[in-house]
Amino acid sequence: MTQSAWKPRANRIREGSRLADVFIYALLVLICLITLYPMYYVFILSISDPLEAASMRVYFYPKGFYLESYKMLLQDMRLWRSYWNTFIYIIADTFLMLTVCVLCSYPLTSGRLIGRKALTIFLLIPMYFSGGLIPTYLVMTRLHLYNNIWAIIIPGAVNIWNIILCHTYFRSIPEDMREAAKIDGASHFQILLRIYLPLATPILAVIAIYTIVGVWNDWFRPMVYLPDEALQPLQLYLRRVLVQQNIDFSQLSSTEAEALARQRLSNLQIRYSMIIFTTLPIIFVYPFFQKYFVKGVMLGSLKG
Amino acid sequence: MSFFSPASAELKTRGLRKRHCRYSKEQIQENIELYLIMLPVLILVFIICYLPLYGLVIAFQDYTPGMPFFSFNESIKWVGLKHFLTFINGKYFIRLMSNTILLSVYNIAFGFWVPIAFALLLNEARNLRFKKLAQTASYLPYFISAVVVAGMVLSFIDTGGIISKLITLLGGKSSVLNTSPQAFPVVYTITNVWKSFGWNSILYLSTISSIPPELYESARIDGANRLKQMWYITIPSILPTISIMLIMAVGSILGSNTDLILLLYNPATYETADVIGSYIYRVGIEGGQFSYTSAVGIFSSAINFLLVFIANKISSKLTNYGLF
Repeated sequence: MTQSAWKPRANRIREGSRLADVFIYALLVLICLITLYPMYYVFILSISDPLEAASMRVYFYPKGFYLESYKMLLQDMRLWRSYWNTFIYIIADTFLMLTVCVLCSYPLTSGRLIGRKALTIFLLIPMYFSGGLIPTYLVMTRLHLYNNIWAIIIPGAVNIWNIILCHTYFRSIPEDMREAAKIDGASHFQILLRIYLPLATPILAVIAIYTIVGVWNDWFRPMVYLPDEALQPLQLYLRRVLVQQNIDFSQLSSTEAEALARQRLSNLQIRYSMIIFTTLPIIFVYPFFQKYFVKGVMLGSLKG
Repeated sequence: MSFFSPASAELKTRGLRKRHCRYSKEQIQENIELYLIMLPVLILVFIICYLPLYGLVIAFQDYTPGMPFFSFNESIKWVGLKHFLTFINGKYFIRLMSNTILLSVYNIAFGFWVPIAFALLLNEARNLRFKKLAQTASYLPYFISAVVVAGMVLSFIDTGGIISKLITLLGGKSSVLNTSPQAFPVVYTITNVWKSFGWNSILYLSTISSIPPELYESARIDGANRLKQMWYITIPSILPTISIMLIMAVGSILGSNTDLILLLYNPATYETADVIGSYIYRVGIEGGQFSYTSAVGIFSSAINFLLVFIANKISSKLTNYGLF
């Protein structure tokens, strides 16, 4: 056997035909296009010239360049107000959620807690049985939380699932650290603050990101509990504009040119601009947090 | 140190004590501190989760706002199962049940396998950067909020919207899709699948990535091509995950995605769009019939529970995997 008879082959673990490869990649690209196109379509429509946009001839690239709809958006005070409200809810809820999770999971990890089993059952029952919409609504009304921002913030911070995630993670922290700190005379609260909290940063990051996404997207609870428009978060405002389509654009500022522009602009374009304006931040930010989502999903599934 | 019990030592050294306390003073003090740490959360959980649970009793009363849930004078009227019977015999019962079940079944039939197929497909791609890119792109719709997605969909299927244009292009009759009850299940299912398949595939992809590559190597040596490798290695490895997800999906058949439905439906499409969740909201919060809708909610939860139970039993019998 001569050297030339032996052809080196690429060391691939799983080989397959080239044709299958092409097919697979083509299919994947198609799926990605399906996922990305709607957003792209909204985007190009929002920056296109209104005439072209109204005639619905824009499909793959923007025709004309027109930023007036965005300029009008920037003057919409209610948009900014709801953006601000959402921001407040996110900050408050994330902070509260992390506090709740940490405060609740730490004592459960101590082996010397009396009634640990009962407490665990106490926490697990609401995961399977919930009061439902109406009784919760009635309880909130009784507590005078109707039309009050705390009706959104407080229930948004109580999530048994996250508490369990946090608890599972705390359990993996070795006991010796706690014992060593006890010898040094630390109280439980100090142990929690100085040892467990810094060590728990990964899981707290996951929980924080989940909470942020949840509060950002939440519109149902505000719809039920916040009839006052000044308190409503962004998604609820968007719902009024995009879904119910009863927004009154005449409140936007009026100069001669803008009044003309408003006439030319189709209602559609303002709505699409609003979509882009409120969703673009998320689109730019979420790819960076991919590893947190994956980790969160894996941790959640391990429990379940 | 954890094995040393101060209590027993004290007992031995001090002889008989007045009360035989199982816990030492030290332990009780420690527990007080721990409970103090946990107390705010426990109170919160009680208020947010348990009070409403208790409030479910109004399903068995004729509740009007302002009455206490439970009192010993004659102000509350217990009506037993009257609201349940009103619901079951009501004229919307069949419609609600069939809509809820149908929409969930469509969701499962068309939406359950998509994340799995996508994960399997993505796994076959060898270029790592492309894989990551495709995965990130696939769950973009998950992060677009339901409101925005509903807004986009509603404007796409409106007369003159891009979907209507597409339909006329392909030769179909352009009808007003927004208010068509026949179109709603299709619109809803496609939107739901589009929005969630990427996110749901994360779980399957993570599971697949934990399969040891040696399995594939030995399969290759044994002469298996890619399809066979997928069938004999990849799919059995994710079968436990699939079973559990299927059980959970079946168990929540009666609790369909109320959020999206509330956004996409309108009175013209109630015929096929109204589900138990949206009905409870409309009649309960907007309509004010609290007792009645609480009963509807309990009914729906009870059936859900039963379904989870049955699905779990079937799954344990068939594949040895179950939730509990």
